[in-house]
Amino acid sequence: MRRMLSVVVALAVTLALAAPVGAQPDTTAKIKETGVLTIGTRTGSPPFAYINKDNQWVGFSIDLVEQLVKPAVEKEVGRTIKIEKKESTPPTRIPLLSSNAVDLIAGTMTDTPQRREVVDFSLTFFYTGAQFLVKKGSPIKGVNDIAGKRIASQQGSTNAKIIREKYPQAQLREFPDQPAAFQALIQGQVDAYTNDGIQLAGLKAKSPNPGDWEVVGDFYSEEPYGMAMRKGDVKFKAAVDAGLRNGFESGKYFEIYDKWFGAKGELPYPMTPTVKAYLLKHSGK
Amino acid sequence: MSYQFKWSVLWSGQSGGWLLQGVATTLAISGLAWILAVGLGILAGAARTVPWRPLRLAGTFYVEFFRNVPLLVWMFFWYFGVPPLLPRGVQDWLFNHSAEFWAGMFALGVYHGARMSEVIRSGINSIPRTQFEASVAMGLTTFQAYRLIIVPIALRLIVPPATNESLNLLKNSSVALTISVAELTFQTRQVETYTAKAIEALTAGTLIYLVLCVSIAWIMARVERRFAIPGLIARGG
Repeated sequence: MRRMLSVVVALAVTLALAAPVGAQPDTTAKIKETGVLTIGTRTGSPPFAYINKDNQWVGFSIDLVEQLVKPAVEKEVGRTIKIEKKESTPPTRIPLLSSNAVDLIAGTMTDTPQRREVVDFSLTFFYTGAQFLVKKGSPIKGVNDIAGKRIASQQGSTNAKIIREKYPQAQLREFPDQPAAFQALIQGQVDAYTNDGIQLAGLKAKSPNPGDWEVVGDFYSEEPYGMAMRKGDVKFKAAVDAGLRNGFESGKYFEIYDKWFGAKGELPYPMTPTVKAYLLKHSGK
Repeated sequence: MSYQFKWSVLWSGQSGGWLLQGVATTLAISGLAWILAVGLGILAGAARTVPWRPLRLAGTFYVEFFRNVPLLVWMFFWYFGVPPLLPRGVQDWLFNHSAEFWAGMFALGVYHGARMSEVIRSGINSIPRTQFEASVAMGLTTFQAYRLIIVPIALRLIVPPATNESLNLLKNSSVALTISVAELTFQTRQVETYTAKAIEALTAGTLIYLVLCVSIAWIMARVERRFAIPGLIARGG
């Protein structure tokens, strides 16, 4: 019994010492060895990352990795590499990253100060913000028209938080999921539904009569999407950022944007000048 | 990565106020729904035992229709299904006056009324048939016999299962969060999303429900003892 105990203690001590060695993660070295860059991405978030009708795993975020990030990482490690994709969802993406199961999260992850405490983010590759979905011709044109109005939101979202804190005159109704909130809007239980602009555009496009709905208002919150990496992975982050920056500078990024969000794209969502300026500013140009 | 407990999130900031509001909403919606449920339960429970077939059928229909559909579906029915049937003006008025609260209250009350009526019916059935016959023989009408004799005795017999049903009603009020009623579970999740402290928030919710339910059970135990009919029901400890 005593002996077993000491074995257990020894094991525990070894594990405790082995786990947080304190060494900085070096993903580039790992990729150099294996020739594989593993990304964690979504399967059901069109057009960012999803499985299409032909059963291919595609999307805007995946294109960015394959066409912009991959060449930059190849340059850094000095060999050709392969991209491997794994499914990651909001609750699993940070654990996947910290357990080394994936090297890069490229999906629809918003870059927030809280998350920055645990992971590093690349340059912003997509910028959206909260807007309102309303019936065409609604008097609501933006966040300044919502006093006294019934506004639906998704429970726990950043948008709901902002409305509650900064616009208490609005009657906020929080629903656990998007279909219930949209149903309430269709029936008139609420006057508007607020969420990230890109989500609303997707909802509108998928609805039976897209012409009946309008996405209105300037962004009243900032939702910059970034690719997430293990914290302190300096060389790898530099390579990823270089790839994206190169894309902004050469215009390749905007071609990819157009492919997915242009007039003929999967989800038309033209880039406003504000957004373009934001992306360029944050790419260090 | 070990979990860092931070219990102060429950009273710092707005959390405490939210939880209190949640308790108030839970009690309000459950209290009103309980009154509705007991009222409907007595009516339907009694209706199913009267010697008049159409009334028995109506009672049976109500019970089977409402207790055999999930509560969640009733919530959506009263919130999304009923308003479009009303005139536009009434709809707007309702939507501006917490339609979700009233829809949730109706869903809860009508659903639990159906379940409560079964409890009351079993109470009525446990009373010897001769009680009813004696009442009628004394010149009471059927309605009077029920109002003055049968229902009061039945209510005194069914306190324990009715307590059970009442506690279920209180806990089921959490389903109303799906139609955006900001009750206790909703506020617990709110605290969780704001503070990212899931264990603390859920523990608070658990304890509050526990305190509410134990208090109700305690009150009902007193009621049970106070109103027990000597000879018909064994005295509770």
